[in-house]
Amino acid sequence: MGISGRVHRTALDRGTLYPMIRYIVLRLALLIPTLLGVLAVTFALLYLAPGDPVAAIVGERADVATIERARRELHLDDPLVVRFGRYIGGVVQGDLGRSYITRRPIVDELAHRFPATLRLAAAAMAIAIVLGLTIGIRGAMRPGSWSDRIATIGAYLGISFPVYWVGLLMILLFAVQLRWFPPSGYGGLLFLILPAITLGMRSVAFLARMTRAAMQEALQSDLVRTARSKGLTSRVVVLRHALGNALIPIITVVGLDFGSYLTGSILTETIFSWPGVGRYVLTAIDKRDLPAIQGSILFLSLIFVVANLIADLCYAAADPRVAYD
Amino acid sequence: MARLAVIVVAAVLLGCGSGIPPGLTYYFSADPRSLDPALSTDVPTGESVTLLFDNLTQFDPEGRLVGGLATAWTPSPDGRTWTFTIRRGARFHDGRPVDVKAIAASFMRALEMAREGGRVWPLLPIDGAAAVVDSGASTLRGLTIVDDTTIAFTLVEPLNIFPKLIAMPVAAIVPTPTPDDFGEHPIGSGPWKFVSWSHDDLLVLARNDDWYGGAPLADTLRIRLIPETFTQAAEYESGRLSVVEIPAGETQRWEREHGAELQRRAAFRAVYVAINTTRGPLADVRVRRAINHAVNVPAILDRVAQGRGVLAAGTIPPGLDGFAPRDRYAFDPARARALLAEAGHKGGLKLQLWRSQRAEFARIAQAIQADLERVGIAVEIVERDASTARSAARKGDADLFLSDWWADYPDGENFTFPLFHSSNAGTGGNYAFVGDSALDAALERARATPDSVDKVALLRAIDAGIFERAPWIFLWFPTDLWAMRPEVVGWEFPAVFTGQRWTGVRFTR
Repeated sequence: MGISGRVHRTALDRGTLYPMIRYIVLRLALLIPTLLGVLAVTFALLYLAPGDPVAAIVGERADVATIERARRELHLDDPLVVRFGRYIGGVVQGDLGRSYITRRPIVDELAHRFPATLRLAAAAMAIAIVLGLTIGIRGAMRPGSWSDRIATIGAYLGISFPVYWVGLLMILLFAVQLRWFPPSGYGGLLFLILPAITLGMRSVAFLARMTRAAMQEALQSDLVRTARSKGLTSRVVVLRHALGNALIPIITVVGLDFGSYLTGSILTETIFSWPGVGRYVLTAIDKRDLPAIQGSILFLSLIFVVANLIADLCYAAADPRVAYD
Repeated sequence: MARLAVIVVAAVLLGCGSGIPPGLTYYFSADPRSLDPALSTDVPTGESVTLLFDNLTQFDPEGRLVGGLATAWTPSPDGRTWTFTIRRGARFHDGRPVDVKAIAASFMRALEMAREGGRVWPLLPIDGAAAVVDSGASTLRGLTIVDDTTIAFTLVEPLNIFPKLIAMPVAAIVPTPTPDDFGEHPIGSGPWKFVSWSHDDLLVLARNDDWYGGAPLADTLRIRLIPETFTQAAEYESGRLSVVEIPAGETQRWEREHGAELQRRAAFRAVYVAINTTRGPLADVRVRRAINHAVNVPAILDRVAQGRGVLAAGTIPPGLDGFAPRDRYAFDPARARALLAEAGHKGGLKLQLWRSQRAEFARIAQAIQADLERVGIAVEIVERDASTARSAARKGDADLFLSDWWADYPDGENFTFPLFHSSNAGTGGNYAFVGDSALDAALERARATPDSVDKVALLRAIDAGIFERAPWIFLWFPTDLWAMRPEVVGWEFPAVFTGQRWTGVRFTR
């Protein structure tokens, strides 16, 4: 994605700053057609999907007149194109509309919930990076050792277990039996640990595998052999030279996972009663709250694309050969 | 890299909260839609409104109608006018008086809000209410302020359930005019005052020391928003919820481990399969009876719902006027096959059974499918999310629709009129699409007849008639099972969702 050329200067020196800015602007400009496309697809899908938003608005036992009135009030009977045009008009002015159900502005609802999602995503990612890299590096340094074998099996299990099951098991063991942590809810550190581990588990496993492979390759490279022959300590060799070279695939994994965590983990947030955007989207879909679904998807797409852009920019910091032109 | 991660972890942890301190803690499975009574279409909103606001009438935990802001009510001889005596001295949480003017304005507001969608049907029997909703009439013709302590409602027709209708959350009394953020910062006159609401997380209420019924025993009531049943149970078991509902599948474990904490109540709720009486062979009553005979309901109740329920032979649950014990359609596959042959379906039938994704419904549907298969009825189960499944049933697209019906107010009428009157076909709750002028007339008569033995007899006859025509697969009336922590005193699970106001509940540790 936009990474090209192998230029013999670092991406961050003065000579390439301009291309990088140009690259960022270009990527941000590309956001507009991307998000428009996302909106159009969402709109069409929701139009085709069965289920009726009015049912949740007027409740059970509403008579036909009440239902018709609600439909008129929400302009649900207007042609699809007209509704789409009206919606885009609002979006351009930064207005995602109000929820059909709660009547609250969707921008406020998302702004209220995003910090919780961000906290959980950051904590999960931090756990994933610390554990994943540690396990991966140790495994690469002593391939075939006991700790490496255990880590490999652990990684397979971590990738294979469904989040839902891991979450329930965590609650049973650490909250109900041992009582070390509260089972669920939003609060300080104690509330964060179980959901963060649950959410980060898959990434730990994935990162460990990725790091191990990339490190093994890097450790056998000429660069590392040279560094070793210069008499540098093993620690410096591994952390500076080998890890530095192994970073690109690691950043890719971290970037993609972080992007998807930021868009809310519906399962983890539901199991741990965590008040994030994932649960908001789930409720909105359940009630066919059209503006809430559209607004959330637009917002989440934006977050995801920006997270990817940041990951791409991190390549430059990690690898001087990457240039943006 | 590891050092950077440590810094990120530290930054993330700085956003510390306090968690849940000990004290009365209740929960909802979903965030309330709003705390504005006018938007109370869902159960969490309705329950919140019950705590924060007062109605003219209300229900006690047993489901009996008792006084609220009104101390007495009487119908006129023709049953069309209900006169309410209003309590003196009640005040909203901001100090304004709850007088007859405030009450009248509150009813008007509820109707005006209904234009934007809300649960307005309980108010529509008031004369002139439809005009306010539909054409924006500026006065409510049927509401009269008689004097300082008396309000009279004139209805479009005689209606004996009216005092129960206005015990529903949509008729809660609010101070007008309401500010724009009323749904977020409600001001009521009820036993609990609003403190804070963090969406999808926690709703905090504080005792209203000035409540006319006497201040609640506890000073704070926290309501957590916990979507997952497993998590609810875990929260209870670690002592962080005061009460919890036990899902059917967990019954035996809880009886074993928490027997002393459990309480049961026969719910005013029916689990049933609506048979669309207008679709092809299902229009024939013999086919519908055959279906009832083919399904081994006692076995399903035992296996799937762990026996937690009372077998149904009618639509009115025991405990409500109009209920009468009668013989069920016996489990008799031979008889079912004979009835099918008699109706000309010797070669069998193909039907679709629609259901939502609830786990319990999945197992009930499978059991019904297996039973019907044995008498030659091939059933295709159509599983959809709740909204889609209900839409299909409302449109009449479902042959069979597995559902349950929760009482809005405890009255036999609530289990007959909405479910079987032709005006409620589809959207109103009549998923069986029963349309019969004689039945309609009887249902209307039961609503108009003053509360009396006559009304009970009418409801019984209606229930017997409905049972005969078999528009449902009659399943059961569930028994609710709740657990209450040993340190909590004075709570009982209410018969209707608006029946528990937490005023007499204490936390003893």
